[in-house]
Amino acid sequence: MGDVGAWLPFFLALLLVLGWYLSYSAARLDRLHHRVESARAALDTQLVRRAAAAAELAGLLPLAAGRPLAEAAAAALKAGLSESVPADGRPGGPTPPLSEVESELTRALHRAVVAVPRPVSDSGPGDFGSADAELMATLRSLNRSCERVQLARRFHNDAVAQSLRMRAKRIIRWTRLAGHAPEPRMIDLDDRTPPGLLP
Amino acid sequence: MRIGLVCPYSFDVPGGVQFHVRDLAEHLIGAGHEVSVLAPADDDTPVPPYVVAAGRAVPVKYNGSVARLTFGPMSAARVRRWLSDGDFDVLHIHEPVTPSLAVLALWSATGPIVATFHTANLRSRAMQAAQPLLRPSLEKISARIAVSEDARRTVVEHLGGDAVVIPNGVYVDRFSSARTDPRWTGTPEHPTLAFVGRLDEPRKGLQVLLRALPEIRGVFPGTRVLVLGRGDTEDLLEGLREDDRHAVELLGPLDDADKAALLHSVDLYVAPHTGGESFGIVLVEAMSAGAPVVASDLGAFGRVLEGGSCGALFAVGDPHDLAATVVRLLADPSERAGLARRGSRAAGRYDWSRVAGQVIAVYETVRLGADRVGEDLRTRSLLSRWREGPAG
Repeated sequence: MGDVGAWLPFFLALLLVLGWYLSYSAARLDRLHHRVESARAALDTQLVRRAAAAAELAGLLPLAAGRPLAEAAAAALKAGLSESVPADGRPGGPTPPLSEVESELTRALHRAVVAVPRPVSDSGPGDFGSADAELMATLRSLNRSCERVQLARRFHNDAVAQSLRMRAKRIIRWTRLAGHAPEPRMIDLDDRTPPGLLP
Repeated sequence: MRIGLVCPYSFDVPGGVQFHVRDLAEHLIGAGHEVSVLAPADDDTPVPPYVVAAGRAVPVKYNGSVARLTFGPMSAARVRRWLSDGDFDVLHIHEPVTPSLAVLALWSATGPIVATFHTANLRSRAMQAAQPLLRPSLEKISARIAVSEDARRTVVEHLGGDAVVIPNGVYVDRFSSARTDPRWTGTPEHPTLAFVGRLDEPRKGLQVLLRALPEIRGVFPGTRVLVLGRGDTEDLLEGLREDDRHAVELLGPLDDADKAALLHSVDLYVAPHTGGESFGIVLVEAMSAGAPVVASDLGAFGRVLEGGSCGALFAVGDPHDLAATVVRLLADPSERAGLARRGSRAAGRYDWSRVAGQVIAVYETVRLGADRVGEDLRTRSLLSRWREGPAG
């Protein structure tokens, strides 16, 4: 039959378009996964920097206020530097999940910053009078790292949201384009900046 | 850091996005970074030394004003050349959804890309239609910045995901250290009001102020309205009585120093905008200059004025409410002084030293864990791949 011959170029063109679309979608998904990974690496780095700054502050505080902060910072550093900690944790796992450790550090920071010695003429967070320079520098760097943790987490979760939307597309699910790449997860943790740090 | 900034609008036309990019570029250069700005411009248009011209701009109506945009294969080639010459650590694209240079740059680049959304009005039909085509490019953006809470909400609604709010910057001390100009300084008999903005663009709201003028002059007959900006006012002034018309003084466009002096000298700065404003940079300029501000109660303005404590708000588009607010403030110098004092204190938040610090924090965050900015080889056209041969 001549019919098949007439339809053949059409089918070939269709296959070609489909093939192009699949390769294009795979590349898009791959790019998004890569973005999630970079954003996660950035967040991990910022969390480690925050924990280091918190440990430094702990060293400058009176023992009663400093010790709980030092412990929380040490736990966060340990979690941040070990590769295997999952973002959300698995029930019964050997290590507490990252979000719990980091939120605990945030709470410890809130409690500790209240205990930072301030001059009597305290008219605002910036007024440290003659307080020592080392403490001021530490409060500044802590403020920087807290802000950057917030940025990094927001950028990470934004990348996750876009990956998830892409992975939810029918063409991706039916063709299993996502392969074995694990589904990215939002990271939910308390990263509020304690009031009273220096800008 | 080596930073590439992309501005979709031509530098030879004044506009909020252009000024923002210019000031940011100059602040970053002053802080020791290497900055190159890609913007539409003819090759023979004079531009600052850090600007690379991307070709001629074509006027297009967009978002209620005429934008001058650039696209086409010629511009695409220039974008790619700029990217490879620049070897940037971070690429920062402004207004990434304008069908223009911004889209071309996003299309051609990979790596750490930051984008700033300026507009609070993405609801244009062209935008909606282009959405599915733009989305893959927008997915390349590693960090989104919105200039206001309103701009952020627009981003979240239309594109999903989130954005961090970093406001527009102002060089506060250029305004706070402005001189007082006797031509524009008010007296109890002749108080002065300032308006700043395009005269014939209805959303800037000059017509609201002019409709309020008879009521204001009913109480303060000597009131003078000083109008800074370009545009045609024939139709607007037509409806006024002879004596009201004489109270309006058209100053035309002024340079930055004169603008600062105007805002520093007048009794009140009036912002009667009727909508389409995402941030309200001129409010911050007036606050920096120490002018008490009267503004329409748009969401963006309310936030800059901290709910009315740093400036008086009136019902948007309502000349009677505007007149009543102006009359109340002209009669009460101590309330005016209080607004000015709180306003100039609040303006400090928008100083470039603070704002650029936040932008740099974003740059440094996206650079962690990512490569440098490079050319996206997947989106290179077949033609250019063939032309440059297998090595390219």
